[in-house]
Amino acid sequence: MNILIIGNSAAGTAAIEAIRRYDQKSFIIQLSDEPHPLYSRCLLSYYLSDAISKKALQYRDTDFHEKMQVQLHVGQRAVELDTNQQQVMCNDGSVYPFDRLLISTGSSAKLPDNIPKGIEGVCVLRTIDDVEIIRKKVKQAKNAVVLGGGLIGMKAACALSECGLEIKVVVRSNRVLSQMIDTEASQFYIKRLLESKIEVLKQTDVSEIQSKKNKLMAVKTDQGQVIPCELLIVAKGVQPNTELIQGTDIKKRRGIETNPFMQTSHKNIFAAGDVAETFDITTEEYAVNALWTCAVQQGRIAGLNMIDKTSAYDGTIGMNSLNVCGLPLISYGITSPKNESTYQILVLEKRESAIYKKIVLKDHRIKGIILLGKIDNAGVLLSLIQRKADVSSFEDELLSDQFNFSKLVGYSDPSVFEKYQKC
Amino acid sequence: MSMKQIICRIEKCLGCRSCELACAVEHSQSKRPVDAMHEPVFPKPRIRVELIDEKGGAHRYRTLALQCRHCEDAPCAQACISGGICKDENTGDVRINPEKCVACWSCIMVCPFGAIVKHEGLHRAMKCDHCPDRETPACVDACPTDALIYCERDKIKIGDFIL
Repeated sequence: MNILIIGNSAAGTAAIEAIRRYDQKSFIIQLSDEPHPLYSRCLLSYYLSDAISKKALQYRDTDFHEKMQVQLHVGQRAVELDTNQQQVMCNDGSVYPFDRLLISTGSSAKLPDNIPKGIEGVCVLRTIDDVEIIRKKVKQAKNAVVLGGGLIGMKAACALSECGLEIKVVVRSNRVLSQMIDTEASQFYIKRLLESKIEVLKQTDVSEIQSKKNKLMAVKTDQGQVIPCELLIVAKGVQPNTELIQGTDIKKRRGIETNPFMQTSHKNIFAAGDVAETFDITTEEYAVNALWTCAVQQGRIAGLNMIDKTSAYDGTIGMNSLNVCGLPLISYGITSPKNESTYQILVLEKRESAIYKKIVLKDHRIKGIILLGKIDNAGVLLSLIQRKADVSSFEDELLSDQFNFSKLVGYSDPSVFEKYQKC
Repeated sequence: MSMKQIICRIEKCLGCRSCELACAVEHSQSKRPVDAMHEPVFPKPRIRVELIDEKGGAHRYRTLALQCRHCEDAPCAQACISGGICKDENTGDVRINPEKCVACWSCIMVCPFGAIVKHEGLHRAMKCDHCPDRETPACVDACPTDALIYCERDKIKIGDFIL
């Protein structure tokens, strides 16, 4: 069988590993539009602050593709997909036929319309190339503005702060990490950021870029404030790279539609990772959860199904772990529900020790969790979301520091323990 | 190499925490209890005795000596953003490469057993490694009641465990 994988990151790699676990014979070709070998995007902020070396960005051993018997073509952008002929054409005219295709093209950083392209000092943080540009700039810069208070914005702000820059984070809403946490948890974060000399400007947006000879000089906010800076990191989220399926009959909404087997509307074409839309267990809606862990899970399921090892995906759960400014944070699912009255909310707050825990329940089932400051046994709580477990008999224990797997064994049926022993 | 697993037979576990001490010592610099206590990076156990229940029921104070299960499809290996957690196909062990760990705690985010913990001193994730320098893990050797056993994975039968 000819297997073609487009994209060389989390989902593509997981698919290869899943395929090769059972199938040594199929011919695998992988295309990547980036010129670099396999690396982990999530580590870029660590490299930015020199917490790790460039070599440490490497996600698998250097001989990974060789060992996995995968022909990797870097610097090849897939530009056209013919679903009838089952082939993909690249920017250099080369054509790759396939029996099974995995579209794991990932996502790209969004750039708001009012931010002009091509100004020196205006950057995104998405690829190795992006980081190299920022690293060069950091050496001459004193002030930086980060636009966007999401995960990438926070990681960028903290990394640049560690480089000794003065940082201002501009966020449109009244909080940071709005996809991950609620307003209360955000306040903890903003306070901690300020201690690291990172100022967050809430309910503010960048309205104008001021440049001289194509070099960034300052940004002007919609509040009229002019912030002199040599560096602006735009971290306004990502959008799925769905260009390849344009003009084909493959269905998409925001991302490419997939079924539980990670199959698109075409039976031999699969999608996984940031480009794919999957069922979210907590919101019970289809969504793009552009997260590393989700991409790996989806890539693995796609890989198995591509070689007809039928395996169904339980669905995604938006989840993130962030450990910056000495404040560990893990969150899952719905953390600030819009219609609060239909949810039950449990909160534990210890302001003096910067601990905040929140559990969002609906019909005695956990729909969302925030763990800030204290993250021990986080995954035990996640397993309750995954199993859609009824927690009514031990609801009052969930926020306790003593809540752990053994407590769960005590409260649950024996199958939980059997799974542990036999795992 | 055979694929082995540590099993805790709850009906025999006293909760004496000998396993914790043995584990911490084994993972210290000196591997000697007296010296281990004075090491600059205080050694921490990768096994933890947890209380299953403290109220009601026929067994009142049952304990579980909990450690990493080295899962077949390890969620931690899938979640690790640096590629620092990998399953050794020969031994079946799931290993954390401390050189690659960036302390993002993604593994803690997904481990359904809470078997991965932060090593505050080293700022690294840590968990059971089945004591690579020993034939039998230190916790198993130290268990005074033989509650902990180290046995072949495929010999473990569901139903053998009394809760």
